[in-house]
Amino acid sequence: MAIVERPSTSETLELEAGPRHATPEDALGVFKRPQGDTGWRSWLFTVDHKRIGIMYGAAALFFFLVGGIEALIIRTQLAAPDQALISADLYNQLFTMHGVTMIFLVVMPIGAAFANFLIPLQIGARDVAFPRLNAFSFWCFLFGGVFFNSSWFIGGGAADGGWFAYAPNTSVIFSPSHGMDFYAIGLQITGIASLVGAINLIATVLNMRAPGMTLMKMPVFTWMSLVTQFLLLFAMPVISVALFLLTFDRLFDANFFDVSAGADPLLWEHLFWIFGHPEVYIMILPAFGIVSETIPVFSRKPIFGYEFIVFSGAAIGFMGWGVWAHHMFASGIGPISVAAFAVSTMFIAVPTGVKILNWMATMWGGKLSFTTPMLFSIGLVTMFTIGGLSGVSHAVAPADTQQTDTYYIVAHFHYVLFGGALFGFVGGFYYWWPKAFGHMLREGLGKAHFWVMLLGFNLTFGPMHVLGLQGMPRRTHSYFDGYGFNVWNLVSTIGAFLIALSFLIFFWNIWVSKRDAKKPEWVSPGPDPWDARSIEWMTASPAPSHNFDHVPVVTHRDEFWYRKYGETDDHRIVRIAAAEDVAQTGDRTDVHLPAPSYWPILLCASFPLIGWGLIFNLGIAFAGGALALLALYGLAMEPADDPDGGHGHHDDHVDHSPTDGSDAAASPTDGDADKEATLVD
Amino acid sequence: MTDTAPAQAADTPTEATGPAPDHLDGVDLESWGLGTNNATGLSNNKLGMWLFLGSDCLLFGALISTYLLMRHRGTGIGPEDVFDIPFTSVSSFVLLMSSMSMVFAVSSIARGDDQKLRLWLLVTSLLGGTFIAGQVYEFTSFYREGMGYTTNLFSSAFYSLTGFHGVHVSVGIIMLMSLFVLSLTGRLKQDRAETVEIVGLYWHFVDIVWVLIFTIVYLIP
Amino acid sequence: MHRFRSVVGSARVRSFGLLALAGLVLSGCAMSLDGDTPQTTLEPEGPAASKIDGLSDLTFIIAAVVFVLVEVGVLFVAWKFRKRKDDTGDELPEQLHGNTKLEIGWTALPAVILAFLAVFTVSTILDLAEDPGEEATRIRVVGQQWWWSYDYDLDGDGVYADGDVVAPGIENPEEYETDIEVANEMVIPAGKPVYLEIESRDVIHSFWIPALNGKKDAVPGRTHYLSLEADEPGTYVGQCTEYCGLSHAYMRMVVHALPEDEYEAWVEEQLAPANEPETAEEQAGLEVFEGRCASCHLVEGVNDDTYDGATVVPGAAPNLTHFASRGTYAGSIFNLWQDTNGNDVIEWAEIGGELNRNQLEAWLRNPPAEKPMAADENRGMPNLGLSEADIDSLVAYLTSLD
Repeated sequence: MAIVERPSTSETLELEAGPRHATPEDALGVFKRPQGDTGWRSWLFTVDHKRIGIMYGAAALFFFLVGGIEALIIRTQLAAPDQALISADLYNQLFTMHGVTMIFLVVMPIGAAFANFLIPLQIGARDVAFPRLNAFSFWCFLFGGVFFNSSWFIGGGAADGGWFAYAPNTSVIFSPSHGMDFYAIGLQITGIASLVGAINLIATVLNMRAPGMTLMKMPVFTWMSLVTQFLLLFAMPVISVALFLLTFDRLFDANFFDVSAGADPLLWEHLFWIFGHPEVYIMILPAFGIVSETIPVFSRKPIFGYEFIVFSGAAIGFMGWGVWAHHMFASGIGPISVAAFAVSTMFIAVPTGVKILNWMATMWGGKLSFTTPMLFSIGLVTMFTIGGLSGVSHAVAPADTQQTDTYYIVAHFHYVLFGGALFGFVGGFYYWWPKAFGHMLREGLGKAHFWVMLLGFNLTFGPMHVLGLQGMPRRTHSYFDGYGFNVWNLVSTIGAFLIALSFLIFFWNIWVSKRDAKKPEWVSPGPDPWDARSIEWMTASPAPSHNFDHVPVVTHRDEFWYRKYGETDDHRIVRIAAAEDVAQTGDRTDVHLPAPSYWPILLCASFPLIGWGLIFNLGIAFAGGALALLALYGLAMEPADDPDGGHGHHDDHVDHSPTDGSDAAASPTDGDADKEATLVD
Repeated sequence: MTDTAPAQAADTPTEATGPAPDHLDGVDLESWGLGTNNATGLSNNKLGMWLFLGSDCLLFGALISTYLLMRHRGTGIGPEDVFDIPFTSVSSFVLLMSSMSMVFAVSSIARGDDQKLRLWLLVTSLLGGTFIAGQVYEFTSFYREGMGYTTNLFSSAFYSLTGFHGVHVSVGIIMLMSLFVLSLTGRLKQDRAETVEIVGLYWHFVDIVWVLIFTIVYLIP
Repeated sequence: MHRFRSVVGSARVRSFGLLALAGLVLSGCAMSLDGDTPQTTLEPEGPAASKIDGLSDLTFIIAAVVFVLVEVGVLFVAWKFRKRKDDTGDELPEQLHGNTKLEIGWTALPAVILAFLAVFTVSTILDLAEDPGEEATRIRVVGQQWWWSYDYDLDGDGVYADGDVVAPGIENPEEYETDIEVANEMVIPAGKPVYLEIESRDVIHSFWIPALNGKKDAVPGRTHYLSLEADEPGTYVGQCTEYCGLSHAYMRMVVHALPEDEYEAWVEEQLAPANEPETAEEQAGLEVFEGRCASCHLVEGVNDDTYDGATVVPGAAPNLTHFASRGTYAGSIFNLWQDTNGNDVIEWAEIGGELNRNQLEAWLRNPPAEKPMAADENRGMPNLGLSEADIDSLVAYLTSLD
């Protein structure tokens, strides 16, 4: 039997031995460096990409609850015509906050959660390129989200201009509460988080892949996340500028959107959608990556047409920049622009369609097991298809002038972002849960979650297609009897509560599964519960803080699978090794890791202070600024890694952190100080 | 603190290729993942800076586009009323010269010449500082001529665009001064030449952006 | 609130079989679960809307076919290749990595279909953008929080009657006397092209009469153009579709398309100055109007000659000169008239019937309670604290302004 050649473990990397954790080092003579990996402090100051990923996920689920409750209030108000459960003013705040929360504080951070948790594991790296900047990104996002939501309590009303915030409706005259200030500054803060995260993850993927893992051997999820990070890298500065202009208008009386001074409100629309359309792909591509991992595993086949999947993802990443004005077909941009953007929008459907067909072809001829992650993945394929097709009907610009800003659009983007992104993400939660926490989620509850969510989702958003085509505009706090809107709105509201029920099942599942894992009869799922293909399953579950005992040497796409299966002379595929024999135990204790740090969270804590200060009292802003400077200085003067920790003084060669984590990537706020991190190592 | 450290291992393969483990012959597995074998051939730090600058291009792109859209839309004071081209040309020249001195600084530390490094860092900072002083003077005189930040579309867009650039230059000066202090205290040696190079990348970028801004804002009517 | 009687598109029989199959639930049966759908996009009543509808149908049919193929395909594949109960899991399926020819095929196929669709799309875009020419009735549509006004350039001289232009200092004021300005309801000649110039006084709104054409945003500082034409006389409704703040849901429009002769009669009526009060009650109402309303509302013949631009905010509020000739008010959310059945109606023939007095009184008593507005920020009608006697006489005066 000629078994496919396997690398033996002897080629794998041995890292310099030393104590697992650094001895504390004085930084600035103020703080002892945090240490240890238990207790709440170890989470607040962690730089471990897995913990940061988990915190991203947890925070996003919290905001999902917030945004979900907002959605339920909206749906309750709209359950019947002419209702006045809430005022128009509150309704406008709710739909704005629901949109912004779900987009910026739920879907994007869940994408970041998966990217943070998985990318280093999937490429066989110890951590990301800049571990402390990674912590910075997370805290920056979290504090930005908290700041944004604090407008409910101290803003005199939350943001009420819609997530798209078209000028001049967002100017002080038309939106006199502080809500839009919170919007502009809050999104600026989360934008910094995304930008720094993007730099970090791109550098990680480009630079830190395990030996042998060429770009075209990377798992598809890592590929899609890489494209996502590039989109973030170039989209974030554009929305940053738009938000700066809005902030300057609102706080400093600038004239950017003052029509009486001669401004053109379409400037905002263009800036916003140049960011806003890539944003759509930022939200959906990670989910595409997730199902491209799960469908092969549960079909027991490799992904069909890896190159097409990868290149179509990259193509979406490029073409996504040339379609923004399809959000503006009714805005009066002129027939030539409309025609050009209509055509470009149609053709971006091509790479998306390719993916759908490739996933079907992956399932074709396989042996499909309908586990919870697989169900959610098939859910994505079927539901996203509906969203994609309604998207094509928007590309037909004349049709779009009837559809845009009606519930048809609401239906469309929920089929894309809920039916697409969220189905993929939830499937991803079920799939990687054991890798993150060491225990599985219950399959029975998972399947119940899926079917209730699928039903609730379609009941909620399916009827919105009809409502939109019947002429019901979106963003309306009420509607009249006699327009044919009543029944479908009621159905939609019922569906919304079913979705809520499905997530109650999910949260119950999380809790009860954790309880199961504490029972004496509980059996660990082991490193590879799904018979998976990529190398994150080649280490223990939960993944140890050092990821891999030995950095794996990669010779194949689906490296892990090739270590488990081989081909006989007569071309039969047979198992050649048990997962447990191939997988690493993860019990090494002598791997040197980047040290935790106080500074990222302290630095980020200054941002809301600066934001509140700009809005209410410059004194607070100066205090925040001082804290930011102090934290930046601390971050810069603290060795990115502990030079004396672990190794003592010996060959400088291994005195680098395993990740070269000197955090030199500059961000708009900390470029200068971080630069110095490399100087004091 | 270590005084000797590895420079980038120039002979390290940047990408392991081929189907079998043989391809790893000659690869320094001991240092895999430690920053000396990066697939791009750039260190994480330098790659990070390049990515940031790529992103920053879009920031200035959006600001310049905004300015171009705003410039002639409003009423009242306009570019032709306030600009002093000869003055700004001189300060632009000063900023361009600072790029040259930055190049000297980078080559000084590459040679291990700490004295020269500090000299050129200082010169670069001073040239940058001169540019900022010129900008402050320019803003003040525009303000005296009745062009406040909120006066009209042109003034808002002009101050925002050039202000963002000014902040970038100022951040660069802080970085240069930090390098200067670190060098004085002996913490910036030849082995850290790349750090100076990375700051240099930033500095050149900011200069190039100014060339664009100067051309688009001041020179093109 | 009120109920519009369906006056739109009764007869068009359409085949939605495929769409229903597609689960898009568009079938006539599904749509009519709720009775009338006066604001639907699927029953075009004018040439522009018909063109769009034809293109939409083509798109929906293609989408439906793709939808069925993909969804049935996925479910079929999932069923056919499910892991059987007797499968031990030892045997792996063939590890197929791809098929380049196949993949190129299914990259090219959607591209071809979309190219086909693109041709029709682009030609329709250019078609719809055409200026209908000189004979079209030109109407300037101005959106403001939260109602629409319509200025008619009847004499074709390119200028409009409007609060702005009757202000002192305007040259040739007589030119404007041949034009009319109305609020909330637009009246057009049926079967003739209308060319709209769409503008906004404050934030972005969007003008949309689904039965007649797609929507077009009203952007402050810009003028956008839209052609409308109603095939048949009738009343068509629409709603602002760009989120415009507090009462976005309550910013509606009504278009009455009239036969040529009725339209001409309406124009004559609108060109005339406002009716003089005939009764003491109406006279009292006029005095209330002059005291409390005239700084925002215009009644031609009453306060336009005293208009000095300082006290009257141009365009701040609807022109009330022929208030009672309209069917709706307050952003077209309230009906002025009711039929004998007590149902609210807005059809042209029923304007001037029995007054829907309670609603009008409630509106005058406390407008912000009836419609969300930011009156304290000068956006919307404030509560003027009118006495019941004032309200009665004001109602008498206003309803005399037909």
